[in-house]
Amino acid sequence: MKKALITSVALAALFPLGAAAQERTLTISVYAFAQDDYKTIVYDPFEAKCGCKLVVETGNSVERIAKMEANKANPVVDLAAVSMADGLAASRAGLIDKVDASKLENFSKLYDVAKDPNGDGMSVGYTFYATSIAYRSDKMKIESWADLLKPEYVGHVAFPNVTTNQGPPALYMLGLALGKDTPDLKAPIEALGEKKDEIVTFYEKSSQLVQLMQQEEIWAAPIGRFSWAGFTKLDVPVAWATPKEGQTGGMNVLVLTKGSKNQDLALQFMDFWLSTEVQTKLAEKLIDSPANKEVKVSDQVANNITYGEETAKSLKLISSAAALDNRNGWLKEWNEKVGQ
Amino acid sequence: MFQNRAEALALTLPAAIFAALVFLLPVAILLSEGFRSGGAWTLAAYTDFFSETLNRTVFFRTFRLGLEVTAVSAVIGYAAAFAIVNLPPKGKGRMIGLITLPLMISPVARTYAWIVILGRTGIVNEAITGLGLSPEPLRLLFTETAVFIGLLQLFLPLMILSLISALENMPKDAIPAARVLGANWFQVFWKVILPLTKEGLVVGGTLVFTGSLTAYITPAILGGSKVLMLETLLYQQVSVANNFISASVIAFILIVMSFAANILLKRLATARNGR
Repeated sequence: MKKALITSVALAALFPLGAAAQERTLTISVYAFAQDDYKTIVYDPFEAKCGCKLVVETGNSVERIAKMEANKANPVVDLAAVSMADGLAASRAGLIDKVDASKLENFSKLYDVAKDPNGDGMSVGYTFYATSIAYRSDKMKIESWADLLKPEYVGHVAFPNVTTNQGPPALYMLGLALGKDTPDLKAPIEALGEKKDEIVTFYEKSSQLVQLMQQEEIWAAPIGRFSWAGFTKLDVPVAWATPKEGQTGGMNVLVLTKGSKNQDLALQFMDFWLSTEVQTKLAEKLIDSPANKEVKVSDQVANNITYGEETAKSLKLISSAAALDNRNGWLKEWNEKVGQ
Repeated sequence: MFQNRAEALALTLPAAIFAALVFLLPVAILLSEGFRSGGAWTLAAYTDFFSETLNRTVFFRTFRLGLEVTAVSAVIGYAAAFAIVNLPPKGKGRMIGLITLPLMISPVARTYAWIVILGRTGIVNEAITGLGLSPEPLRLLFTETAVFIGLLQLFLPLMILSLISALENMPKDAIPAARVLGANWFQVFWKVILPLTKEGLVVGGTLVFTGSLTAYITPAILGGSKVLMLETLLYQQVSVANNFISASVIAFILIVMSFAANILLKRLATARNGR
């Protein structure tokens, strides 16, 4: 009886502690990419540091923004990692708050391009990447984005679908190579449409490209630099193209949900993610190219990521506004010219 | 078994409430989106959807591939099921085990295997070039053929299992009796086996057809956007265009097609019996 009483009292005493621990829960919404490494490098150390619980939701950018919109009145997510364009979409939809940079110790360490990518103070860049063409150097030579459509090469090319993050930037560069610099991407989509039967596939997942390259199904594909590591492990010679029109790419940003009850904790987490230590570890694992300029990596790592401010500045990016305003038009045009 | 109907209903109530809350209600909300515009009921979303050539192309391709996969799986399924039910018990168990084995493997893994098999350096192309049927490897991946093969491999076990069950329930002396009365094998199948196993064919056909309509991974990996299907189009509308109205329209079309297939198969089965 006495034992039972003591047990009951002990359990009752634990309840308030449980409730307190529950109050310190941070919910983040991120890409499903490399979650095991993120857990080791970012999530677990932060949980240990803050004494809080981290709940991680994963999915693609558009899906997660849609979910945030559905829960606008009573937000579930406190912080989200999304593409630059989706950061602007969230801002336009009134889903996110301004980022108080004064509360971020690591803000000054960021490259200028990452401090306020959309120019509205609503997001901070945590990684950027180059997009160019991975190609079989023993089979072909790529000097221009237009080379992908050469008759001798086009039957061995995989091009990113317009629905992927790599699709519009790659189309944009193809447009530049064709002498058409317009945000509607009509010219490059039309050019691709004319060759659609010859192109091997319009890929949706870059993860399938390594296998296709290994099987000699494809010789070339525009890819993001974050996918490059897999190609370097192939037993066939693969090179990263530096076309005369330049390279394109993208940036991912961190945003704070409007109406979140854990904004201070979310800012702490954001600051932790942007720290030199975390950004260095993520870069060394070839997961994310660092947005923190204090990150120093070996030449071998640098060659496999998008490294340095000059590189970031040289990328020809589609502005977030152009991407948002033209997204549905691109999809419609693509479905008419390429999808049928 | 039960004292009264109320007792039976009470037992089904928790499951019914759960299904209503987590399945029926969200689906109803999603589907209603496609019939509403500006607070009024309208079919505008459907007329808009079918007014686009791409959507019509994708709709007919999905329907046609679903029918083709169902028809071919029925033909192969009857042959396989008939062979299996006539095996001794030990052999029958082994064969059923072999048929169910692929169902335990993720559709993603099964589909990726086809990339290896159908690739330029895969066994199919090696056989084709080795036999001198073509000087160059054929483009088999990212074609309708690849999607058809992938879907057939994915759902054929369901058809075979349904038909095995149906054939086992058939009177054992039905076929010998028909043969004694002078029926050839085609007549035996058409006039005896088919009417007696129609339930299995309806179940198998519905599973294969609806599975082919709604499978996402296989068309996405083996066909990609070169062989767009309704389900890949639906994903595109939700995940890229954030267009839930269009997604609702596609979802409703898929549901209608599934129900229509089931009703049609049942009708065909009863018509065969002249009942």
